Amino acid sequence: MNVAVGPGGYNHRVLGYFAQPVHAGDLQARYPVEGRGEATEAGGGCQILLTAGTDGTAFCEVRHRVLGCPHLIAAAEELCRRAEGRPVAALALFDRPELMALLDVPVEKSGRMLLLEDAWQALCRGLEGSASRANKATEFTDDET
Amino acid sequence: MSSERPAEVVYLDHAATTPVDPVVVRAMQQVLSPAGSFANPASAHSAGRCSRALVEQARRQVADLLHTEPCCLVFTSGATESNNLAILGAARNRAHRGRHVITMRTEHKAVLDTFAALERDGFRVTWLSPDENGLLAISALEASFRDDTQLVSVMHVNNETGVMQDIETIGAACRRHDILFHCDAAQSAGKLLIDLARLPIDMMSLTAHKFHGPQGIGALYLADHPGCHITPLMHGGGQERRLRPGTLPIHQIVGFGAAAALSLERQAEDLAYLRMLNDRLWQGLGSMPGVLRNGARELSFPGILNVSAADIDGESLLLALEPVCAASGSACNSLSGEPSYVLRALGRDDRLAQSAVRFSFGRTTSIQDIDYAVDRYHYAINKLRSIGPAFSRLAV
Repeated sequence: MNVAVGPGGYNHRVLGYFAQPVHAGDLQARYPVEGRGEATEAGGGCQILLTAGTDGTAFCEVRHRVLGCPHLIAAAEELCRRAEGRPVAALALFDRPELMALLDVPVEKSGRMLLLEDAWQALCRGLEGSASRANKATEFTDDET
Repeated sequence: MSSERPAEVVYLDHAATTPVDPVVVRAMQQVLSPAGSFANPASAHSAGRCSRALVEQARRQVADLLHTEPCCLVFTSGATESNNLAILGAARNRAHRGRHVITMRTEHKAVLDTFAALERDGFRVTWLSPDENGLLAISALEASFRDDTQLVSVMHVNNETGVMQDIETIGAACRRHDILFHCDAAQSAGKLLIDLARLPIDMMSLTAHKFHGPQGIGALYLADHPGCHITPLMHGGGQERRLRPGTLPIHQIVGFGAAAALSLERQAEDLAYLRMLNDRLWQGLGSMPGVLRNGARELSFPGILNVSAADIDGESLLLALEPVCAASGSACNSLSGEPSYVLRALGRDDRLAQSAVRFSFGRTTSIQDIDYAVDRYHYAINKLRSIGPAFSRLAV
């Protein structure tokens, strides 16, 4: 761990992301392939919505909306930053233990990180589905012409 | 309302602890100075007698605050120890008469965990729930009485919501059934009028640091009547009537006494000031959509305001509020991660309970502090809602 723990037990990366979660919000443009993944904690305590746009091969834009603790907001922000510009075959982007270590997430919040993982996997499945539909539509259009 | 950002933190967590009053600091410094009274008050020599006089003067000051006699007070390290001494000490002392004890689910951890310890020791515990206002219904209390009931413990002011229990009626019900009544007054002593000459209370816990005294010193009140006996938890000295052995910390006791004298002098004025601050704060916070007050105004101690907000995580809210220092509404449950039982008892669902923030203030809180907290709360709520998921979109 290369970051000191700041006020409230949050490390400086968490504090920075919490202060300026630049990836919080909705997609700023339209993309050939778009997807969304969401996950909600039992009882509705935490909610995560991830949205992404790709050009068919790489993530162009990834956004999050999180109702949760500062660690969860920071983890979503870190995930979005990592994903943009990377190939869509990016399930491996989510290395939960590594993310928890980077952000000094206390072990009792593992459930929340699993929730983020659920949302990420749902997003990836959504993108695969969207890409498949886009390909079929393209084939159909090609047949007509 | 609008205010400038203060240079320092805005401390609105007086229910956790309060800043030590300068008058108290001076009294303690005098004891700790080279010319101060450092001798052991248990010693028979003149220096010891001088220390003992200071201890007894402070005991008188604390007794005056509670409208009781000094001989009824035992100095402890604080309310947690007082609660343990009262509950364990009374239950064990009366175990031969019966092993049934009663408390509420909304008590402080210092009481809940102590009753849990009794349960593990074979005592039968009735855990009463509050009504929708957070209050104990006397009918529910009396219905729980059994032939072998020996002890009831109910707090005066709830540490999360500020809801005040009717300790006079509760105590009277206990007296009618020859049951000892213990009251945790950590949040009310020094702030509200407590007249132990009149109230039917057998044992009461208090601590100095909740009313501008030093941390690490408190007291247990034991009524001066034949049925009110406790078994000590510690052994090894004759101090404090053998109920709490150990060398007395003179400077802390002197500080406790000074804080008590100050509180007694300022009680009415402070209470009116807290009411004004509370109303001003709620006027500012309650104007936001989806913000709810936890605990009715008329039933709550004015030094505490607990609010929940829809679509907000309480932990994130606390961080976004900084430099305002407040507390999570479920601070005492933070380790378990469970939403506050106290707030759920008031009808809040888990999500609203998790969003709760407790603001608590005292005589050192300024109007500017309150106005700044209002501004900061608006900013924090708006920020967190703007980055949170809109629920309607989740349903698409």
